[in-house]
Amino acid sequence: MPGAITVRLDAPAYEAGHAFRRADLYFHGVDHSWSSFEARVFLNHSDATEDTKLTPQQRYAGSFFVFGHGGCYGDEGHCDIPPSPVSPFDRRPAHQLTPTSKLVVVTRALDRLYKDGAPPAIHVTAVAVVRASAVAQPDHAANVLHFERVALLVYQ
Amino acid sequence: MLSSTAIATDTPDGLNYRLSADMLTAAQADSFRQAVALSKGIGDDRGFNHWAGIHGLPLPMYCQHHTILFLPWHRAYLYFFELSLQDRVGGVALPWWDWSSRPAEGSGIPSLYTQAEAGGATNPLLASPIPAAAQTASMDEGAPPTTTSRSPGAVDGLPTAAEVQEVLAAPNFLDFSQRVENLHDRVHVWVGGTMAEIPWAAYDPLFFAHHCMIDRLWALWQLEHPGDAPPAQTLPEALPPFNMTVAQTLAINSLGYEYAAARVTAPAGQ
Repeated sequence: MPGAITVRLDAPAYEAGHAFRRADLYFHGVDHSWSSFEARVFLNHSDATEDTKLTPQQRYAGSFFVFGHGGCYGDEGHCDIPPSPVSPFDRRPAHQLTPTSKLVVVTRALDRLYKDGAPPAIHVTAVAVVRASAVAQPDHAANVLHFERVALLVYQ
Repeated sequence: MLSSTAIATDTPDGLNYRLSADMLTAAQADSFRQAVALSKGIGDDRGFNHWAGIHGLPLPMYCQHHTILFLPWHRAYLYFFELSLQDRVGGVALPWWDWSSRPAEGSGIPSLYTQAEAGGATNPLLASPIPAAAQTASMDEGAPPTTTSRSPGAVDGLPTAAEVQEVLAAPNFLDFSQRVENLHDRVHVWVGGTMAEIPWAAYDPLFFAHHCMIDRLWALWQLEHPGDAPPAQTLPEALPPFNMTVAQTLAINSLGYEYAAARVTAPAGQ
């Protein structure tokens, strides 16, 4: 569905009988150039939509939020991210729209998943939700969510 | 005899005590509103629009989001903005909005910022016009706003005290910064209106109360993690447009303010 992205991760090796101390789900390369939004994260619920209840039964794991740049307010090219510094002496800070990383602590959600039986894979589904604001509109959810990869770090 | 005193914003130790917006005395609220109103009346680079524009439009947008400089940059921003208010009314301090407290009634936003009128005048903390210089349309959007607006969500959508405690338990600066910024982003989205739009968010006076809460959480986290700072390579970095480095933001007392909720003093020998 538009506005949702599912990524498959191999289930992390897990020593049975020990609870997770903490599980961190990182979304790397998150775009924040446009409207502000919430990304609701579900584990092994690939059909989740913005209407899905945020409950353990629906395998809701948490949300990350993006306070978005709101679009480009310069001339053409103003918001293009340079691929690299122009020289070894380029000490300018990174472009403001450089993609970021977002963290969702999913300890409890992952623990519940394993209590239901060790899954062969973990499908991470992020569902974008945009609230109407001064400029943003809910239908922006269809195009606002972009990230490069997902990483799951599990601590026992 | 030990004496417990209500905290004045102008204190004998020289520090300004930033207080919860719900805890200001009538006189403190009046002073703060007066400072903001006077600031709004100045059209040059001493006035409210200049300070709001540093964060967003008109270009350049100096604000730092989704980077390691998020907390230091906004601390510097609040520091210089607060000084500009003290130029108008001596001793005023920025209030903070504790969005993790659950009001029995109301919208979740402190009444200081929602009252239409205060002291027989329009409340300067309710809304602001967007100056023409900041009414820039993006390349792919419609007309820009002409005034600030809010459309808050349900109160239970705000971060809870338990969620704040989880963030304060973060073991290192990088973890804390990332997690507290997520709470920050969430509250911007929750308030909606222009608060959810980086280009115009700071024109809403509520912006500064929200960021004061974020800065307070960083200060509280620092108390529990003395010496834990942003990565060493970032400490000499400047925080434009401010003449301040990351390292210079780390000690709030050196910036002249404090978040302590109570202060008790007594002369020696009694």
